[in-house]
Amino acid sequence: MRKGYVLERILYTVFIFFIVITLNFFIPRIGVEDPAERYYPPQGNLTDTEYSIIKQLTRKQYGFDVSGWQQYLRYLSQLSRGDLGTSLQAGSPKVSTLIAQRLPWTLVLSLSNMLISVTLGLLLGTSAAWNRGKFADRALMNASTVMTALPAFFLALVFSLYMGFEWGWFPAYTEPDMVASFDWSWRAIAQVARNAALPVISMSIGGVISYAQGTRNSVIAVSQEDFITTARAKGMSTRTVKYRHVLRNAMLPIVTSLGMSVSGLIGGSVVIEQIFNWNGMGTLFLTANNTNDYPLMMGIMLFLSSFALLANLVTDLLYSLLDPRVSAGGGRR
Amino acid sequence: MRTTRRKNNLLAKIWHHPQGQVGLILAGLLVFAAVAAPWITPFDPYDVTQRAEKGLAPGWPHLLGTSISTGQDIFSMLIYGARVSLLVGIVTGLAIAFLGAFMGILAGYGGRFWDTLIMRLVDVMLVIPTLPLTIVLTNLFGKSYGMIIFIFTIFGWVGLARVIRSQVLVLKSSNYIKAAQLAGASRRYIMFRHILPGVSNLLIMSTALTSAGIMVAEAGLSFLGLGDPTAISWGKMLAEAQSGGALLFGHWWWIIAPGIGIFLSVFAFMRIGLALEEVFNPRMKRSGMLLRLFKSINGSYIQEVFDAMDDRPETDEAGKEAAP
Amino acid sequence: MKRSPAKMLAVLLALAFLLSGCASRFERLEDVSSALYIAEVASSFPQTFMPWFSRDGVAPTISSMIYSTLLSYDDITDTYQPNLAAEWAYLDRQGQPLITADGRVDYARLEEEYSGKDTAFIPVRFALNPQATWSDGQPVTVRDIVFTFDLATNQKRSNHAGALVWANDLMHKYDQSTGRLRRQGIYTYDTGANEAGYPVSEAEKDHVFYFEVSKVLGAITPLVSTILVLPEHIYGSLVSIEQPINNTDPSPELRHAYENPVGCGPYQLDRANTNSQEIVLTRRADYHLKAPDGGALYKVDVLKFVLFQEINVAIYALKKGHVDVLDASVSANYARLFEHEPGISLFSAPGIFAQTLVINLNPPPERTNAMREQLTNPLLRRAIALAIDQDALIGYVLSGRGRKVPMGLVREGVLHNPRADLIQGPMEERLRQANEILDSLYPDKDDKGYRLSSGSRLSFQVLGSPGEQDLINYLQVLLQKIGVEVRYAPKGNSPENTYLYGGNFDMTLQGVSFTPANVDIMMNAHYCNLNRSSNYGRLKDEQLNARIASMRTTLNREYKYQLVQEIEELAAAHYYKLPLYCQDVLSAARTDRFTGWVVSPGVGAFNMDSLSRLTPSGQKGR
Repeated sequence: MRKGYVLERILYTVFIFFIVITLNFFIPRIGVEDPAERYYPPQGNLTDTEYSIIKQLTRKQYGFDVSGWQQYLRYLSQLSRGDLGTSLQAGSPKVSTLIAQRLPWTLVLSLSNMLISVTLGLLLGTSAAWNRGKFADRALMNASTVMTALPAFFLALVFSLYMGFEWGWFPAYTEPDMVASFDWSWRAIAQVARNAALPVISMSIGGVISYAQGTRNSVIAVSQEDFITTARAKGMSTRTVKYRHVLRNAMLPIVTSLGMSVSGLIGGSVVIEQIFNWNGMGTLFLTANNTNDYPLMMGIMLFLSSFALLANLVTDLLYSLLDPRVSAGGGRR
Repeated sequence: MRTTRRKNNLLAKIWHHPQGQVGLILAGLLVFAAVAAPWITPFDPYDVTQRAEKGLAPGWPHLLGTSISTGQDIFSMLIYGARVSLLVGIVTGLAIAFLGAFMGILAGYGGRFWDTLIMRLVDVMLVIPTLPLTIVLTNLFGKSYGMIIFIFTIFGWVGLARVIRSQVLVLKSSNYIKAAQLAGASRRYIMFRHILPGVSNLLIMSTALTSAGIMVAEAGLSFLGLGDPTAISWGKMLAEAQSGGALLFGHWWWIIAPGIGIFLSVFAFMRIGLALEEVFNPRMKRSGMLLRLFKSINGSYIQEVFDAMDDRPETDEAGKEAAP
Repeated sequence: MKRSPAKMLAVLLALAFLLSGCASRFERLEDVSSALYIAEVASSFPQTFMPWFSRDGVAPTISSMIYSTLLSYDDITDTYQPNLAAEWAYLDRQGQPLITADGRVDYARLEEEYSGKDTAFIPVRFALNPQATWSDGQPVTVRDIVFTFDLATNQKRSNHAGALVWANDLMHKYDQSTGRLRRQGIYTYDTGANEAGYPVSEAEKDHVFYFEVSKVLGAITPLVSTILVLPEHIYGSLVSIEQPINNTDPSPELRHAYENPVGCGPYQLDRANTNSQEIVLTRRADYHLKAPDGGALYKVDVLKFVLFQEINVAIYALKKGHVDVLDASVSANYARLFEHEPGISLFSAPGIFAQTLVINLNPPPERTNAMREQLTNPLLRRAIALAIDQDALIGYVLSGRGRKVPMGLVREGVLHNPRADLIQGPMEERLRQANEILDSLYPDKDDKGYRLSSGSRLSFQVLGSPGEQDLINYLQVLLQKIGVEVRYAPKGNSPENTYLYGGNFDMTLQGVSFTPANVDIMMNAHYCNLNRSSNYGRLKDEQLNARIASMRTTLNREYKYQLVQEIEELAAAHYYKLPLYCQDVLSAARTDRFTGWVVSPGVGAFNMDSLSRLTPSGQKGR
């Protein structure tokens, strides 16, 4: 992997990061004459002079008393200290604190989803590829077309209705004490597993099928390559051929798509979290939206974008590590 | 003249394709339902005087029962829901096709300046998380399907542009383009008369498949409440079912019905798109790569969709990607 | 592949079922103690308990249980009950309490003494309950009172606009820009009471204090019943101009004080068991108020508030027995769910908010257009008022669970004025009258039957939230009968700032509540104030304003009520806020572990009255 390539990618990422920060700063201010309007309390019985003093103090409290440029510079310096802003919720918690509280729970869902999707998908896909044309393969094709047309949140509702509310196999809603009483004991872990079961199942069904499909095609494609025929001709055992050559090469595109789905790890489960009342980033963002908590919303946006940028950068570098053709050529394009 | 004849042949070809036929029939039924909704529904869900007792189970005359929160006839709402899905899906699919084609051709053929500019733009757009941004924008500017179509288009052209660009780069080195260049044709002329037709197959295919994917994504957004609050859409029906207590009361019909609606519309357009894919490229038997697209759209990450379209190698060109 | 994927799948599924099989232990079902489990529906629980902070969500409920006010106000009887202050009285100019023979406020003599121009304020004397203590054992003294009320009036140290509003009528004023005390209005033994002519002996120096309040009958209501008293020994050293009490970036000590509240209310926060999903309050044995028989006033030892994100989930929890009571109102649609449940009771109480249709009758020049102009015509508004069929609305929208509201917007009580109900009679007659009026104004109709105004259909948008869409649709049906079209328009986010305060709307929905306690502020806010207030339609009526000003300044209680009733009539004649209905408050509670739930107007089953009557049955949950 060439140093020049790495440096170029990193600098590029930093450049994009600045653009994202600037966008993040300006979006709530678009088309609004006085952004501080949103923060003023109602006037009540106060006289006009008293009320104008309240307005001044509110402007000062939320940083609107200086010019736009200075606000931007203040925003940058605040970000450089790692402060993503202060939420408008009672008690003024920091955005970073709130994100830190909720992020692990979202990751529980997304990582479980990814794990199950990839492992089961690989198993099913390779099985379908080796048994091409037979029942397993055809079943996979049909499942693919059906599953891609069914949104995950619809599955989630159906599962919630039957397996949760009607039959009681899993908790119908996230148990209220799951987050607060978590102490790494077996009981706590079992509780999390129990509550996460339905969301993860809903999300991963589609994932399993799609990874299975992708693996199947990749394996079939690679098995038709010349070098495989050569290996067989040389007399290598089927098993060696399968594992050492076909699978390894077939993995490349899978790794790519895995890498790309990393950026969806955090923001992608908003709807599922909402259905199951799961205490993650998705529900945090939705409540911020419902309460017009702009600092929290923009803080989360920035966090998600930064995470996506980082994920892209790492995936790019990893990919170029795996496929030396790429760094010579200049990228995943 | 030439293109219309081609289109006629195209329709015929899809019709003769077994899965394509299914897709066309379904799509036709849905379009009919959407257009004829005011005449074929037994009740008018917008008319408050036609409300019935709340929370009825399926029976006569309410084939799918009534909603718990308002007493509207669910069957009628189901038919009206087709309007929004089809409208948003098809319009956005077309818009993305136009914008994506334009940007892709410009990047591929318009020269280094445009290429770099557009590719940089693509990079920025890929990083911004779409769903949170949609939520923020609808918060600031109001909730409507116009806004949703706008946002989908703004983010959706990216992947298509990359694919088109790759294709354009391939075409650029083909003989007849070189001949046209030598003959002194202007850039513009070449772009419109030669390149555009060359990618048209890709565009038609992508419109069908994109529309399908958009329908799923729109359902998700409507479910979160980001669509027009006065319109009836399948996603909104699911949201109303959840908040109205369908889960509590066990009214599974209120949940299953809109889900089937979404399924049928996506399924129909996907079938058409896949049939088109096989019609255009008979060698490429159901790569399934395109099927992966819509799994990602389920999570509303459209950029991944179009990433997948060009980053996955074609099955007959494994490993050989067009150089940037 | 040797390992069959099917086998792996089976193993995984089995694992999942095993895990799920670990029975979920729901605390309440096993709990035989007298802990009450309360379901709260909110997006999050507060982690800090500074009582002046948030006014929405569960924070006000918790604050009012941890902290106390000087007196409690009973708005049914319009009297004050002792709380932190065991006794209080207005004083006449000789310093004698203005109390009648049976111990009540002598409003007649109050008016006599102070209506003249030569006085600027009324002195009030308070004596604190010597039993009142803070949860850390310290007694409640006048130092806490001085700290609290001084802080409320000093914006520089409080940074709290709400507190300034609450303390507006206390004649203790700071210059808000320099932070200097301009006028003293709080007097204790150590802050010059005797020198100012307010006698306080040394024995009572910790418990007696005086306020000077403005000459308005409602002046003391927010002071004594809204402002929660803060402990001076905790906050006194922490609050300054650099670290005001309402602080988005508090110092660690201040944050510690927020998170570990020390209050003088009936319950205290069990910090160890409180977290982001559950708030636990335990009863204080040394609470200064007792039941009439001398025992504890509130019967429940432990209160456990459990957080739910959504009402459906909370209702499910109640059904399954995971909680005892739901602290949220239940929609009428859910009444059926509880009908056949043996352990759950559904409670219904009349509401206190009147839902009204507000018409923009005076849009600012830059916000007006041809259609909105029509709304400035009172005849059109009267026609609309005539067409509103409250019975039909209650039946359709509320499934019958609501009551009608007269045009004066006060349903019952001392302020109710039947003469303000300008619209009466059977619906057919009213529709006929409405159509008659409109026939003379807008004789032309289009093909759908809607009237035309200068060629275009008479059509208005009603701003509402998504939950109000159905109500507005039904209004559409009602008004169609007189040829006027109304359509739902979504409110959007921050509707006050974007539409309402700027007068940029045709019509909207608003809840109005006038009670003897709030009528001073509310009538001003709804009918007079033209700045950012509830007077969305910018009503400007000099006669009405004068009446409201008199009403607020008169010291004669009877006259005040009379004026309020006149104001109702005058306001009703403008056809500005048209009543639609008053929704009943439905609540649900389980009766297997606790019995004795009571409701009163405007509140659900979970309220302080219930807490003073609940008796545990000593059994396990179902």
